[in-house]
Amino acid sequence: MSLPKREVDELRPWVERTVKKVLGFSEPTVVTAALHCVGKGLDKRKTTDQLRPFLDDSASSFVERLFEALEESRNSRGNRAAGEKNRKRELKEVFGDEMEGVKGGDSVESVVKKKRVPRFEEVEEPPVLPGPPTESPGMLTKMQIKQMMEAATRQIEERKKQLSFVTPGPIMQSIAPSQAANFMNDAIEKARKAAELQAKIQSTLAMKPGILGALGNTGPHNLVALANLHAMGIAPPKVEPREVTKPTPLILDELGRTVDASGKEVELTHRMPTLKANIRAVKREQFRQQLKEKPSDDLESTSYFDSRVAINSAQRAKRGFRFHEQGRFEKIAQRIRTKAQLEKLQMEIAQAAKKTGIQASTKLALIAPKKELGEGEIPHIEWWDSYILPSHIELISENRQRVEMHGVTNLVEHPIQMAPPVDTDKPVTLGVYLTKKEQKKLRRQTRREAQKELQEKVRLGLMPPPEPKVRISNLMRVLGTEAVQDPTKVEAHVRAQMAKRQKAHEEANAARKLTAEQRKEKKVKKLKEDLSHGVHIAVYRIRNLHNPAKKFKVEANANQLYLTGTVVLHKDVNIVVVEGGPKAQKKFKRLMLNRIKWDEPNSKRDDSDDEGSRKYNKCTLVWEGTAKERSYGEVKFKQCPTESMAREHFKKHGTEHYWDLALSQSVLETTDD
Amino acid sequence: MSDEDEVPVVKKARIFYGSLEEKEKLRLSREGISSTAKDAVKAGIEAGHINISSGESMEMEERVKRRERLRNILSVVGPDALKKSKKEDEKAKRTQDEYQQTWYHEGPSSLKEARIWLAKYSLPRAVERLDAARAQKEIPESTRTVKQQELHKTLRNVNNFCSQIGDDRPISHCQFSPNSELLVTASWSGLCKLWKVPGCTLIRTLRGHNTNVGAISFHPQATLTLEESDVNMASCAADGSVKLWSLDSDEPVADIEGHSMRVARVAWHPSGRFLGTTCYDNSWRLWDLEAQEEILHQEGHSKGVHDLHFHPDGSLAGTGGLDAFARVWDLRTGRCIMFLEGHHQEIYSINFSPNGFHVATGSGDNTCRVWDLRHRRCMYTIPAHENLVSSVKFQPNDGHFLLTGAYDNTAKVWTHPGWSPLKTLAGHEGKVMGLDLSPNGQLIATCSYDRTFKLWMAE
Repeated sequence: MSLPKREVDELRPWVERTVKKVLGFSEPTVVTAALHCVGKGLDKRKTTDQLRPFLDDSASSFVERLFEALEESRNSRGNRAAGEKNRKRELKEVFGDEMEGVKGGDSVESVVKKKRVPRFEEVEEPPVLPGPPTESPGMLTKMQIKQMMEAATRQIEERKKQLSFVTPGPIMQSIAPSQAANFMNDAIEKARKAAELQAKIQSTLAMKPGILGALGNTGPHNLVALANLHAMGIAPPKVEPREVTKPTPLILDELGRTVDASGKEVELTHRMPTLKANIRAVKREQFRQQLKEKPSDDLESTSYFDSRVAINSAQRAKRGFRFHEQGRFEKIAQRIRTKAQLEKLQMEIAQAAKKTGIQASTKLALIAPKKELGEGEIPHIEWWDSYILPSHIELISENRQRVEMHGVTNLVEHPIQMAPPVDTDKPVTLGVYLTKKEQKKLRRQTRREAQKELQEKVRLGLMPPPEPKVRISNLMRVLGTEAVQDPTKVEAHVRAQMAKRQKAHEEANAARKLTAEQRKEKKVKKLKEDLSHGVHIAVYRIRNLHNPAKKFKVEANANQLYLTGTVVLHKDVNIVVVEGGPKAQKKFKRLMLNRIKWDEPNSKRDDSDDEGSRKYNKCTLVWEGTAKERSYGEVKFKQCPTESMAREHFKKHGTEHYWDLALSQSVLETTDD
Repeated sequence: MSDEDEVPVVKKARIFYGSLEEKEKLRLSREGISSTAKDAVKAGIEAGHINISSGESMEMEERVKRRERLRNILSVVGPDALKKSKKEDEKAKRTQDEYQQTWYHEGPSSLKEARIWLAKYSLPRAVERLDAARAQKEIPESTRTVKQQELHKTLRNVNNFCSQIGDDRPISHCQFSPNSELLVTASWSGLCKLWKVPGCTLIRTLRGHNTNVGAISFHPQATLTLEESDVNMASCAADGSVKLWSLDSDEPVADIEGHSMRVARVAWHPSGRFLGTTCYDNSWRLWDLEAQEEILHQEGHSKGVHDLHFHPDGSLAGTGGLDAFARVWDLRTGRCIMFLEGHHQEIYSINFSPNGFHVATGSGDNTCRVWDLRHRRCMYTIPAHENLVSSVKFQPNDGHFLLTGAYDNTAKVWTHPGWSPLKTLAGHEGKVMGLDLSPNGQLIATCSYDRTFKLWMAE
């Protein structure tokens, strides 16, 4: 795995600094070599080997630090990589057609790979993992993670040892322990993340076995792709510019090969003159390779990619002709025609019925509640008549005159006189309301009397005389000599007294003030009316009460006015029954009949509501009157799908006549229309 | 048993914060008691009105303290308390007790004779009525239904036929003559007017009353078998006067005296021999016109009696009072046979159905109730109007529909039984105060506070 050139460049200053720290002086050769190793994607051991000639003992620690820095820089570049990926995906889409042929079966694998290879593993894996290199990183098991962890800890321990024995530099020593801790934490964190990610993937895969069926054989393909990559020589051109910018000493061995400082063979790129066409061919090849490689590069985003989401193919399918079956529209037309005819017929019938007036009465007959009372048997004789007749006497015309009446006397009955349910003629006494002038006069008198009383007490010696009342204005008069002697003290005294007076006044006011609770109670008391003379009841009928906003208004207002009652929702007969005091009823009536605009559209999105029913939506007062007591509790909504159910609901509260009346009114109304 | 000498209940003055009364009380208590008042107080103590001591140690008390306390009590009770005599108090107590139990007193012997006459009159009528009802039941269901629907159809088409300004004061009552050719209206101006219908031409103005006339009523046989010069009508007024009228004169034939308070309604017994009047002195009366005397003074309501209607058999009478109760009386035995309890406010109207066992009452609680006499219960409550229901009437012939008039300026037609609204007769600009149906079933008349009466007819 090689690194892009830019990344390597970024690392360069850091590497320089570290080299300087380790060796005590800057050594460009070492830096270049290190970067070269990194750029080539060598693992730690190899890098250490490579750098040993330059750095001797401290090589391993240097490599260690180098790799950590590398990893950090990579992590920090996560976002940037994502951005790049997007750009590349667009590119891929543009060239989709061309690509498809090349990639073919590869695409699925690359997706899988993307998902499963977390970036940081790339760095840590190679030096320590004993597992076979062919195994795909996606197949990480817990064992492996454990091993990774162990390896990390081992490394850290090694490092500690190194630090304690070798002590490469004074600076290193001071930093090392904290760094070691950091490393350990990092390693643990990474391992945990990896485990989590893997578990997630495994579970999703387990749940959807069909989606990624070809999972097993991903590894080899993957490797093949990688191998291809190397073979195509993509990496070298990327490393190349760095070597150009900072020339390194060219060392040649006896065979004329380029070698590095340690005497190992270094592969240099050879620039050979070639045709433009060849260059282009190479470039195209490279570009293709890049395209192919891309998905494997942006590994982080793979967890957000859902292969199940269908992506529209770039090209539209060709549209063919679609012919209607013959006779299809004829059929539709026929259907519409019959429907219209039927409607017309119905209308005519309705018209005729209306003319004769049958409709309303039949409808009324329909809605009339089933006579549970019935006519009953016609008695032989009414019970009040039977009372005065001696039993078993036939009322035949002949003996009519001779019949002796029972219980007919000249006594006049004085039955118990029942007090009326509501005693309305208690004497109403109006309060004596005083005019402003009278109020003032009264106040003046009472105050004067109270004052007199006080004075009397003082005179009799029952009370100590009050302190002379001083103000700033009368200070000189009241405390003449003292004021002259010590004006400051006197003024302070006066001011204190004033403050005291003010305080007493304010305290008295505050004491009179009702507490929050009392004020609340007072308000409630004002709203709750005296219902000992009976409750006032109003029954409203609304055609359409489906709008939640209006429902809310009805309920909230009823509750706020301390009205009880019920709301019954039934198709186009919605009934609101409220009970309470006269004032509350007045307000509620205004709400229902004036304030709520029943015929306004519910809301913008509610256009599906058919125009007609809304247009004629309105609220009518069915009845208002009084009753002895409330028959309902707090206002509750009840949905009644059938008429009988609604009537039952009302009957439960002994008020079925409200329902009967409202229903028949609505029936009559519809026939009148 | 009159309550004339009963002292009205003393109004207890309510004391308001900061009122002049309170001041007065304070002043009184300061001033002390004058010598005359002292004597009165002594008397009061003896009479037991003023309870000075709460207990036993009266003797031990110091004079000063006692006087102080007396002063306080007097200032609370007020000087009026002294004037109230012990005797009056006892009497009030006695009458209170009387109301709490049923008791009887013996009426005149003429009452018994009249009752026997009534029994003999009503029993055959009841038999006839029941026979007719049975015959009606023989008619198959479908025929009856068709008839019912026909009726409803015509009622749906009832419309205003004519409107006539009847007087320059509100018209309180109207009634058709038994032959359906005349209409009589009573007005608050004290005038009653006789109209020819359906032409609405004025025939005669009946002058006699000085105050609001509450009702005027045709004799059941007027214009049918009675002579024009006979007593054909009876009217009553708010000053307690009841007058009898003939058809050929604009002066009353006779006066019936004996009412001290407003007479709200007069009603003829179906036999035409008796006249019933309701009075605001909590009683209703039955007058025998042949004997020309009051044969029954019936108490029973705790407040004024407003409406009265006789059972078609002539056996029962129903009265509705301002105490929100209606009572059904048996005229033969003189007993209250049914107590209609259920309305919440005053009953202004009561009407018997021609079928003989349904009663409708209209009340100030805006409802109309239908009662079943056979089962002695309320059958249905019609939430009829939006203001007090001033009048209720069944169709006089077969009782297949019900008419209600109310102070919400409308009259309504209801099916019976079923009680669904058939038609609203809207058009009056004032409260509907009375209504009637012509016996031939053609016309409906309503009279109103807007000084007009209107005739309604099916098209």
